[in-house]
Amino acid sequence: MDTVLDVRAVSKTFGPVRAVDGATFSVRRGSMTGLLGRNGAGKTTTLRMINGVFLPDSGSISLFGSTNGGDATRDRIGYLPEERGLYKKMKVFEHLLFLAEVKKPVTAAVRARAQKWLERLELSDKRDAKVEELSKGNQQKVQLIGALLHEPELLILDEPMSGLDPVNVVLVRRILQELKGEGRTILLSTHMMAEAERMADDIVLIHGGRVVLSGELGRVRASFGKNTVHLAFEGDGGFLNALPGVARATVAPNNAELQLSEKADPQAILQAAALRLKLSRFEVAEPSLEEIFIERVGGSTLSGAEAAP
Amino acid sequence: MRKLFAVFKREYLQTVRKKSFILLTLLMPFLMAAVVTIPGLLIAKSFGEKRVAVLDGTGRLQEAFAPGKIAAAAVEGAGSQARKMPGAGSGLPTLVRPEYTAFTGDPRAAAAPYLSRLTGRNLREDRKLDGVLLIPVDAATNAAARLTYYSRSATDLIGQQMISEVASRALIRLRLTERGVDPALLEDVLRKTNVDAVQVSSTGEQKKGGEANFIVGFVFAALLFLPMIIYGVEIMRGIVAEKTERIAEILISSMSALQLLGGKVLGLAAVGLTQISVWMAMGGLVAGAASGLALAAGMNLGQFLRPAIVPWFLIFYLLGYMIYVCVYAVGGAMANSEKEAQQATTPAMLVIMLPWFLLAPIIMSPDSKLATTLSLIPLFTPITMFVRVLVSEPPMWQVGVSIALTILTIYFLFWAAAKIFRVGILSYGKRPTIPELWRWLKVA
Repeated sequence: MDTVLDVRAVSKTFGPVRAVDGATFSVRRGSMTGLLGRNGAGKTTTLRMINGVFLPDSGSISLFGSTNGGDATRDRIGYLPEERGLYKKMKVFEHLLFLAEVKKPVTAAVRARAQKWLERLELSDKRDAKVEELSKGNQQKVQLIGALLHEPELLILDEPMSGLDPVNVVLVRRILQELKGEGRTILLSTHMMAEAERMADDIVLIHGGRVVLSGELGRVRASFGKNTVHLAFEGDGGFLNALPGVARATVAPNNAELQLSEKADPQAILQAAALRLKLSRFEVAEPSLEEIFIERVGGSTLSGAEAAP
Repeated sequence: MRKLFAVFKREYLQTVRKKSFILLTLLMPFLMAAVVTIPGLLIAKSFGEKRVAVLDGTGRLQEAFAPGKIAAAAVEGAGSQARKMPGAGSGLPTLVRPEYTAFTGDPRAAAAPYLSRLTGRNLREDRKLDGVLLIPVDAATNAAARLTYYSRSATDLIGQQMISEVASRALIRLRLTERGVDPALLEDVLRKTNVDAVQVSSTGEQKKGGEANFIVGFVFAALLFLPMIIYGVEIMRGIVAEKTERIAEILISSMSALQLLGGKVLGLAAVGLTQISVWMAMGGLVAGAASGLALAAGMNLGQFLRPAIVPWFLIFYLLGYMIYVCVYAVGGAMANSEKEAQQATTPAMLVIMLPWFLLAPIIMSPDSKLATTLSLIPLFTPITMFVRVLVSEPPMWQVGVSIALTILTIYFLFWAAAKIFRVGILSYGKRPTIPELWRWLKVA
């Protein structure tokens, strides 16, 4: 397995706050890895350390097999920071070329690529507009083009979907899939579990600055076993979490996800539910990422205790 | 180097293409010309209207106050001060229009009607007076006699000086004539003696132009204030903006802080030099035209300026420019907002301005201990050493040492700015501890 990024026991402290606490994970070449966690879990600090914005207090970060972080390494990375930053007075196209130029020489090919990306992201009419004239979502798309214009091998995206409308989310998702198809490695952070579930091959779940779970998404889910019941229904599902054998339930107005305790019988649940609800779906499956997340992280947060690794 | 150049290019082009930059560059020389000439013209204009009643108790000074004579007499007599006064001798018909009256008897009684014209309202324009000069009856014979000048404003100094100068010279003539001196002889005796300043250098060349040196020294110092006022602040703002607009994060993940700040500082320095080159070219054209005119009129302005100082001008200008800009860069790097940056740089700027306040003494005694010491302190070198080179011949080792020290200081300031900037970004509002800072200075 070819590793592009290897983070080993990395810690970073800001004053009294331990933002990242001994985080260890790696990113496979050609994979899309989701860095998941709640707000303030340490995702952004971790990504900043990988990009050399922060220096870890301890631990090591190796990129493309090297730990020195010089220009040769930097230029192979494209970075979309969480706090978007563009020169407001610059024209979009010029700005893109500038962002590319700090990575690699601007050639005719780079210009052509910039034009192509603008068209692809429906920004070609904004080519000569000033950045400040663009909507927030459009600025975000410009920043995204800036991150990938120099054709980086590793693309690091901090919350790439935040601020985008649903149409743009689909567009960006498709583009990221294509980039992955070209063999590029993508590391993206998000707090949207459904998003990660849809896109990521691998996940790294971080909480309280610690990596609480990491690995291939499929394996992570499988390791939690087929102990989850997904329901879709009409009626009042409020009673579901009180059923015998249900360890925990997430009940929405017309669907629910039930975590069964060990040895509970899904059939008994089905019968009990069918008595009081008009069911349109009943499925025994692996838990969703959201459920895994809540099980690993949510409970400890609610009880106020430190998250156990 | 490519990264530094990318930042340099962006910084330069973005600024030079701004409309405000183009307007300022093209209009500033006219603005400056207006600032310099308009007050002079206004003074000259208001001055041309002065109407003074001369009440002569001796009754024998009428000739001295004859219209037309007074301007020439004032210029000749009042010496350099009046000559430098805007409008003086520039062909204004009369600077002071005297209204001569001889009187006898009580001076108070004689003066009364004129004094009422001085303060009275509802008078016809040509009856109004700006001043009344009273020459007592015994003025020609009594050496202790005093003239009295009445005016509405106690600060009518120019009018008072001019009219009293004329009156006192007229009285001297009168007294000498009374004592039997030949009037023809008087004219020769009373002629003003002018002094030409000549600077002797070690190579033996002799140059007139002490006053021109003064002007060049001040122009140089004034030109150095532009980068302090305009571009220093611009760089400071730019650096703070990198942080507040969060562009720093993406740039710092692509290049070192030295590359980033190097590109920024050099880019804005190039902007400033472009602007000043344009101004100097415009000024040069005007000066060229002026010296052409002067040459046609039989004067050689070139004798006031040695071509040899041009390289010094450029060297010290560049040094001054860079050192001031780097001071601002450090200020910008330390601060998290523009206001904070202003506060950080203000004391430094006051220190840097020290030679400006000492410019006159330095020009007058360029080899004094004060001038020598100041010229060897990097922050003060650009202005003081240039002035010394301009008006004197300081030892070459001093010039060399001062330039070397200044270059070192510029490099140090720049390096410090880059490091502080880097640490500032890392800490994001939180003050880094000393060990943290030290570790970063080593790594970044």
